[in-house]
Amino acid sequence: MSALVEFRDVGVDYARRGGIVSAVQNVSLTLEENETFGLVGESGCGKTTLSMALMGLLPASARVTGQLMFRGEDLFAMSESEHRRLRGDEVSMVFQDPATSLDATFGIGYQVAETVRAHRQVSRRESKARALELLREVGIPAAESRYSDPPHRLSGGMRQRVVMAAALANDPSLLLADEPTTALDVTIQAQVLDLLAALQRKHGTTILLIAHDLGVVAQICDRVGVMYAGQLVEVAPVGELFAAPRHPYTRALLDALPSRGRRGRALRVIGGQVPDLSHPPAGCRFADRCPHRMDVCATVPPLATSGAERQIACWLDPATRATAGLAPLPDSPTPNPAVPVGDPS
Amino acid sequence: MTDQASTVNDHDGAPLLEVEGLVKRFPIRRGLFGSGSVHAVEGVDLHIRPGEVLSLVGESGSGKSTLGACVTGMSKPTAGRIRFAGEDVALASRRGRAQFRRRVQPVFQDPRSSLDPRWPIERTIREPLDAYRVGSPADRTARVAELMDLVGLPRHLSARQPRQLSRGQQQRVAIAAALALGPELLVADEPVSALDVSVQAQILNLLDELRNRLKLALLFIAHDLSVVEHLSDRVAVMYLGRIVETGPVERIFASPEHPYTRALIDAIPHADPGRKMSRIRLTGEIPSPVNPPSGCRFHPRCPVAIEQCRTVDPPQTHFDQTHSAACHVAAAGLAQRTSTISALSKGATS
Amino acid sequence: MIPNQAGPAGPVGPVGPVGPVGAVGEAVVMPRDERRTLTERFGGREGLAGWTIVFVLIAVAILAPVLAPHSPEAIDGNRILAAPSLAHPFGSDDLGRDVLSRVLYAFRVSLGIAVGSVALAMVVGLPIGVLAGYAGGWSDLVLMRLIDLLLSFPALLLAISLIAILGPGSLVALLAIAIIYVPIMARVVRSSVLVVRGQPYVRGARARGASHLSVIRGHVLPNAIGPALVQASVLMAFAIVIEAALSFLGLGSQPPTPELGLMLADGNNYLAQAPWVEIFPGLGIAISVLAFNLIGDGLRRSFDPNGLTQ
Repeated sequence: MSALVEFRDVGVDYARRGGIVSAVQNVSLTLEENETFGLVGESGCGKTTLSMALMGLLPASARVTGQLMFRGEDLFAMSESEHRRLRGDEVSMVFQDPATSLDATFGIGYQVAETVRAHRQVSRRESKARALELLREVGIPAAESRYSDPPHRLSGGMRQRVVMAAALANDPSLLLADEPTTALDVTIQAQVLDLLAALQRKHGTTILLIAHDLGVVAQICDRVGVMYAGQLVEVAPVGELFAAPRHPYTRALLDALPSRGRRGRALRVIGGQVPDLSHPPAGCRFADRCPHRMDVCATVPPLATSGAERQIACWLDPATRATAGLAPLPDSPTPNPAVPVGDPS
Repeated sequence: MTDQASTVNDHDGAPLLEVEGLVKRFPIRRGLFGSGSVHAVEGVDLHIRPGEVLSLVGESGSGKSTLGACVTGMSKPTAGRIRFAGEDVALASRRGRAQFRRRVQPVFQDPRSSLDPRWPIERTIREPLDAYRVGSPADRTARVAELMDLVGLPRHLSARQPRQLSRGQQQRVAIAAALALGPELLVADEPVSALDVSVQAQILNLLDELRNRLKLALLFIAHDLSVVEHLSDRVAVMYLGRIVETGPVERIFASPEHPYTRALIDAIPHADPGRKMSRIRLTGEIPSPVNPPSGCRFHPRCPVAIEQCRTVDPPQTHFDQTHSAACHVAAAGLAQRTSTISALSKGATS
Repeated sequence: MIPNQAGPAGPVGPVGPVGPVGAVGEAVVMPRDERRTLTERFGGREGLAGWTIVFVLIAVAILAPVLAPHSPEAIDGNRILAAPSLAHPFGSDDLGRDVLSRVLYAFRVSLGIAVGSVALAMVVGLPIGVLAGYAGGWSDLVLMRLIDLLLSFPALLLAISLIAILGPGSLVALLAIAIIYVPIMARVVRSSVLVVRGQPYVRGARARGASHLSVIRGHVLPNAIGPALVQASVLMAFAIVIEAALSFLGLGSQPPTPELGLMLADGNNYLAQAPWVEIFPGLGIAISVLAFNLIGDGLRRSFDPNGLTQ
């Protein structure tokens, strides 16, 4: 595997009336070719800001730092037009609400064909044929007869499929899916997730899936990154993350999920609230809510690599401590995949 | 359903809320002269006992929110009866209806839009007390403080505007206002689906705690089945305006009888990569409630539909005193216990 | 393994009498928009500028007798079309009247008509809009058809026919403008009431026993009034223009009333020799229109519920 996208110490600030909002801080992350990477976190954690940075769609009030490498080229250093060209050729996006991605006045097939023509020099006839092919691929039944239907004639799930067909029109190497199933019903969500996974397998597209639903991420992602208040706190292969989360926030997040084992008992809650990002705390931003807070947490913990595929930014963790030249804590939790998630009792 | 309800009554005392044959249709205009109606709810029976949590699950278009709106009196049923504590709500006098409203309160999905953005939260919580002139003004002030304690809102927030609160706090305010008049039943329509996971956990804990402490019954309308499984005593599954299966939560999740219930449960994305969503996938989508399919409304999407399903609307079959489903295949399976469903469920769990 | 993994993070199991669930979960509050500066209260810099200008104009109108250096109607044969000087900073008109004094007095008429016509339109249009929007059904249908009927007349034609019946004059102009505005006001109010009426907090308040009257007073009006106020300030700006136009055409205020439109009509004849007769009343109109529009922008911004028009 090789790196497709590399965030190198990326930070994003927004200038607001009240001052500066630090939306993303020191994020370093690599997306490999041909993987499905899930980015999870609660609202305001910076996951959407990161994806907007990747698309070059940050608002004018945003200030970026660091480097964002796409196939070895720094997107932040690119001109607007270079960025746009790259975006058109290599990156596609699927948003939460399919209604906003489609033009209400044109037929769905026409819109997909337009996207095809925007990327390739083809005749109308060819683009129509390609659009039909794409619509069939994403599972629109009777694609020919639906070709001229306006979006409102389709259900939400079907519209999301059309959006995905348009997103595939340029054969992208990166597909950014920002909460693609959040607006859908659960049985339709399952269909769309299946489709995403199938498309990924068939085309070898790298997918960056942004989601708040840990279940969705668990179903189709290879690796997962967890963000909290603008910091990337943990990255792990999906199985390891859910079986043996190492960051206290990841653990707390998993513990807050209702699940079969916790029926009849109160769910764990995380004390306190997400910090105000216009005055973010120095150091680890989770520290104020963390049950294991120490003095050293006032310093930003470096995102340390642990083993082949895990990264962790927590002063409790030996990997992070080693990166900073500190000895492991005497009673520290050794990375032990056998630790059961959830209840200590 | 009625005879079943009565057997249940013998066991657990009188139900708080009984819904019988509820129908709600919305007229729609097509073009200039055409007309039709959306069959949002088509003949629903259900009951809730005091202190019980009944979850109403189903996809959008299933009619679950419409049913909730009818129960809270925000929407007038086209036909059918709603009885609260044995009294028919539609037949009640003006005063009786006002009393009914005190005893049944709605909680909405999005806490931001369910609070007046210009009102300090204290005033929102106090509004129902003023409307019903409960006690003296001083009593009401004390009651507001008490309610804030009850839902876990620090008192120093009382003068804040909703936008100065977090989503979780906003939902607590909405719940406090709903509790102000001491209702016996809360109808909560997706109360946690607009919330982040950790905030969702707080509100679920709060609802659970309130139900234990106040003996509050809850009609919990939701699409997220893991939340439903966590919170409910009983579950009713709706599809296109009908209840297709109802029963105790353990039964529904462990051995659903209706193929739609099975499909819903299978579609839950578990936060456990080892437990992939199972292979059974519903094809297609929920049809339009303007022209619901004939026979069993689920048959066009049903993986096990038989000829009978296309023509005959399946009646409720009782699998035991508390568990029933409307499915020909399941009914046949009850007779011979080797039905396709049980084969499917074996296939799904293996 | 961490001892007691998430112990302090939250209570496990049943909780005590007064739920620590809440206290733990929500102890800290985000200080969002706590302090709004004076500028923000007035709807940003534009709004503040608008309010300041209008305030000054109103002060000028009220204090015109004190501020004006001369009588606005004093004719002086020696100063016909005299250029601006120290004693007459804005010059004199064709009858030798002091233009500055006339402009100062003219604001009384213009602002009076602007505020008066909109206030009258509000008094009539607001209840109609609220009733139609909140009640819906038949009352909505009937009221809105009546409003449509009124709207279907061209505005100026309506004004002119009214003036034809009642005869020209400042008050008649005010009335005519108000009649033009009533349907506009009613429609704006109705549509924002419709939006607010559908909000869960309105349905919730009803479900919690609040009467229709208290829902309208407490929830619907305060939340629906914003667009109406924005519209009102824009309409005031427009009223100044309409009134000036009517007077220009001889249908509004009558000579010798000092009025901006009349002065424009006068000055028009001498534009080449004595542009000041035309320019200063013109500026007066422009500034007051601008000010009301700025207020409108400011109001629009401060009624933006999210307050984040960046």
